[in-house]
This record gives sequence, structure tokens and C-alpha cells, in this order.
Amino acid sequence: MRLRHSTLMPQVALAPAVAITFVAFIGSILWTVYLSFTRSRRFPEYAIDTENLFRQYGRLFGDDAFITSLKNLVILGLGSTLAIGFGFILACLIDRERRGQGFFRTVFLYPLAISLIVTGVAWRWLFDPQLGMQAALHDWGLTWVRLDWLARSETAMYGIILASVWQGAGFYMALMLAGLKSINDEIWKAARLDGIGVWQFYTRIVIPMMKFTFLTCAILMSLGVVKAYDIVVAMTNGGPGQSTFVPAYFTINAYWQKSNLGYASAAATIMLLITLAFFLPMVIFAARRRRRAEESVT
Amino acid sequence: MTMNVNAAAAGGQLEDEYLAEVPLRKERRIRGRSIAVIAFLTFCAAFFCLPLYVILVTSFKTLDQIRLGDIFSLPTEWTIEPWITAWNSACSGITCDGLKVGFVNSLAILFPSLVLSIVLSSVTGYALALWNVRWAGPFLFLLFMCAFIPFQIVMIPLIILTGMFGIYGTVWGIAVVHAITSLPLLTLIFRNYYKDIPREIMQAAVMDSGRFWQIFFRIIVPMSGNILIVVLILMITNIWNDFLIGLTFGGLGTQPMTVILANVVITTTGETLYNENMAAALLTAIPPLVIYFLLGRFFVQGITAGAIKG
Repeated sequence: MRLRHSTLMPQVALAPAVAITFVAFIGSILWTVYLSFTRSRRFPEYAIDTENLFRQYGRLFGDDAFITSLKNLVILGLGSTLAIGFGFILACLIDRERRGQGFFRTVFLYPLAISLIVTGVAWRWLFDPQLGMQAALHDWGLTWVRLDWLARSETAMYGIILASVWQGAGFYMALMLAGLKSINDEIWKAARLDGIGVWQFYTRIVIPMMKFTFLTCAILMSLGVVKAYDIVVAMTNGGPGQSTFVPAYFTINAYWQKSNLGYASAAATIMLLITLAFFLPMVIFAARRRRRAEESVT
Repeated sequence: MTMNVNAAAAGGQLEDEYLAEVPLRKERRIRGRSIAVIAFLTFCAAFFCLPLYVILVTSFKTLDQIRLGDIFSLPTEWTIEPWITAWNSACSGITCDGLKVGFVNSLAILFPSLVLSIVLSSVTGYALALWNVRWAGPFLFLLFMCAFIPFQIVMIPLIILTGMFGIYGTVWGIAVVHAITSLPLLTLIFRNYYKDIPREIMQAAVMDSGRFWQIFFRIIVPMSGNILIVVLILMITNIWNDFLIGLTFGGLGTQPMTVILANVVITTTGETLYNENMAAALLTAIPPLVIYFLLGRFFVQGITAGAIKG
């Protein structure tokens, strides 16, 4: 709804938000991208590196730590899909089984209310090779179990994935529950009367009906994975060695530890590009959905 | 956008009526399945509670007992010593003042951040939803884009900008950055809520006074109770749990609790004081957990509001 009257005051009221959007967001992004083409080190230099425009990017992709962080991003992304699957299963079970619904929902969602730093500290302790879960299981005679994941560079990432799934599954469950609510009872009844098995009902009817919810979850997950930072700091601090570097960690590290502005800017620009790659499908999808909604109204 | 609690109840009722029509033989099978489902959910719940249980018992153990290595056992002698030292004298880097410093800092950060971010985004959402601004559409799209960019891409310029204004490293600096980074998402939430205000109310208000601010304070704000609670809870948990902004923009005297906690856990001199670390982690987690257990419904609405754009 739009009203035709004074337009000056609303524009004045919007001025701070507009200023923030153009200075703090768009301006800052352009500034960071610009710096990635300069030879800035500790302080910004505003001379474009004409000699070799992509010098910072060349160094970046020649840097083992950065390559590792990109690989870890993919591993973390693949691992985090478990959280979506897990969330969907939990949502379906809670949705069908009304007993204890409130209790289970509360339990599965509480990790989301605590800081990722706390989550990281907790799981770091559980994975402690000498005193943590592994020691307890070995004491019980299960000596073949290895849970010293964080101590070894080839498995450390899996520990981070487990903690992320623990933290995030409840969130996807909440989104899936909202999606399941939209499947009305008529469909349930019709399917039951038709004698369709439960398994088939979910794979053939529910999942296709919820494809938008799944897509939303997948996009939110991707964006979350690109931003992953706190959990890495709290669990491994990038180690052992550089085995759990992720792009966000690498960028912050390049800026604070190496005091290298140009390098950090280039890494941040790559992060932005990865985000855009996930974000553009979302824009298209949202626009299409809006159009569809408008069509259904008219 | 909001989770419809009534729909669930209504759905349950319908199902009851339907189940009543099903012959008994079938009902028994459903019951067997119910037991399996509940058993599985209980198992999952145990997995979710495990870390919390382990931190809790560890924080009450003596170091001697922790050295024995049974992480799942209950404390043989309960001690609150770790909690006291974590609060008062845990060492983080160079200082040994415990987490109480971080707690005070987090509170000091919380209030200005909440006021700035909510005032800014509610006014923005209101102007975009209910007033005729020609460039509202493109601007909303820009905001929508900004909601998803990683913080690292704007971090360095924001450090320089806050430095220029002389607020870098202060509580206000952190508050301003929180207000900036939360602006896109909160504006979208407020706009979606205000968009659904009935036309008649707005028209009557315009006929009555027609003043932008008067309508906002007299009519819109009193109607925003619901969304304000949702946004408040969303922002309190976000700001309290934030690590990166506090780390980047907090000076030595303004580091929030999460940063102090990370320092306590990461910097170890000599033997790791696991019980103290766990008590410190719990102290940091208690405020948002209390909010979650008291006002869980609004919390769920908040986290899903950003995800499902109605």
C-alpha cells in the first residue's frame, strides 16, 4: 500500500540507512576490492599495482594455507549438509509424533542459543585425546575407537563438522517444521486412504513439496559455511599446523598476524565471490517465487 | 513469517478425529511405531544434551578427579571453586581478572548496540513499508544483498572509518558496527511486519495528522509489541554471542565475554585447568540460555524470521 502525501520526511528518516548502505557496505566493498589490486602492506597504498595487477591473487593461489582453506570450505560445506538431513528427519519425526513435541524441540534448538565459542570450547574438551571421550571409551575396553580427531591434521576438520552439525541441526529442524506445517492434513489423509507407505509418502510427496524449504536451507547453510570463523578459533585455532584454516580464518589471520592489507583484501574479495556464487541463485529463486505468488493472487 | 502455533494444535485435533475412524488393529501398529520414534528422538536428545552434561559435571570436579580421565562420571566431591576462579581470577593473556570483566563489558556493549540497531532499523522499515518513497524497491533489494555479504569484506574499511571518528576500540564503536551489520536483516523483518498493518488504520492516521513521526510514535510503535520482542531476543543473543566484532573492534578494556573466554581457553600456562575453562564457558552461555528457556517461542520466531521471507 502506498499513500500519496509528504515524501520529504520519509526520505529524511531513510537518510541514515542510505548513508550506511552506500558508505559502510557498498563503499567498503569497493574499497576492499580496490586495495586487493594495490601493494598495500601495513598501511593502505592507493597506487594501483600497474606492474602486475593480480599480484596479490597470484600469491594467494600459490599459498598452501589458502588452498587448504578452500579445500576445507568444500569439506565443511559437504559435512554441513548432514545437519540439513538430520534436521529434516528430526522435523518429520517431531511433526508426526505429538507426544513430547515441545520438549524435543527445546532440546534440539538450545545449541543455537549459545555462542559458537562456547560450543567450540565444549567439543574441544570432549575431543581431548588424553582425558576426553576417547579416554573414557578406552577405559571401558573399547580401545579400537579413535576420537583424537582434533589432534591429527587429517581428521581435525571432521571434529569441526561434528560440532557445527550439533549446533546447526536444530535450526534446520525449525525451518523444516515451518515447511511441514504448509502440507495440510488433507494430503495426509488422502495418502493414508490410498494406502501409500510411509516411506514412499515422504520420498514422493513430502520432499518434492518442500523443495523450496530445502533450497532455502541449502543457501543459508552455504552462506553460513563461508562465514565460519568462531568455531575454528575455539576448537583448533587453525591447527594442527594450518590444517583447519578456512577462508574467514585465513583473511583475519592475514590482516592481524601478517599485517598485510593487500593480501587480506584479496582473500576477502575471494570470499565475496564465493558468497555471490551462492547468492545469485537465491535472488533468482526469490524473484521467481514472488512472481508466482503474485500470479496466484490475481 | 511467524510460526503458527495454532495450526499445529488444529492439525493434532484433525488427526485425532481421523485416528478414531481407523480400526483398532491399525492403531496398535501406529502405537508400535510411536514407541520406535520416541526412542529414536530420545537417543538424539541424549546426543544433544551430552556436551552440556559433560561441561556441567567437569565444572564441578576437582583437577585431581579430571586427571583420572573419566569424562562422563559425576564429581566424587563437588566443588564450586572452578566457578569462583573462572569468574574472579581466570587468566586471559596478560591479565588475570576472570570473566567478570567480560561480563560487564558485554552488558556495556549490549545496551547501546540494541538501542542503535533497533531504532535505526525500525524507522527504516517503517518508512519503506508505509510511505511512498520512489526508490524504495531498488533500495530494499540493495539491503537484501547486503544481508548476505561476509563481514570480512567490510571489516578493514570499518576499522579505518571507526578510527577516523575516534570510536575505534570503544563501546560505541562496537555498538555502531553492530547497528551497521544488523541493519539489512532487521530492516527486512520490520518492513515485512509493518507491511501487513491494515490499510484503514494507516489511512485514518494520515487523515488525522499525517505527520511522519507522529504516526510512528503514536500508532506504529504501540502496535509493534510482538515484533519488538522477537527482534530484541534475536539481537540480545546475537550481540551476546558475537565474537568477531568484539574481537576486531574491542579495545583492551572493552572486550566482550566471548573474547575473554576464548583467551582463557587458548592461553594456557602450564597445566590446562579444564574445570575452570568449563565453568567459564557455562558462565558465558548462561544469559542467552536463560532467555531461550524463558522465551523460546520468540527466539524461534526470530531465527526463522530472517530465513523465511514472507
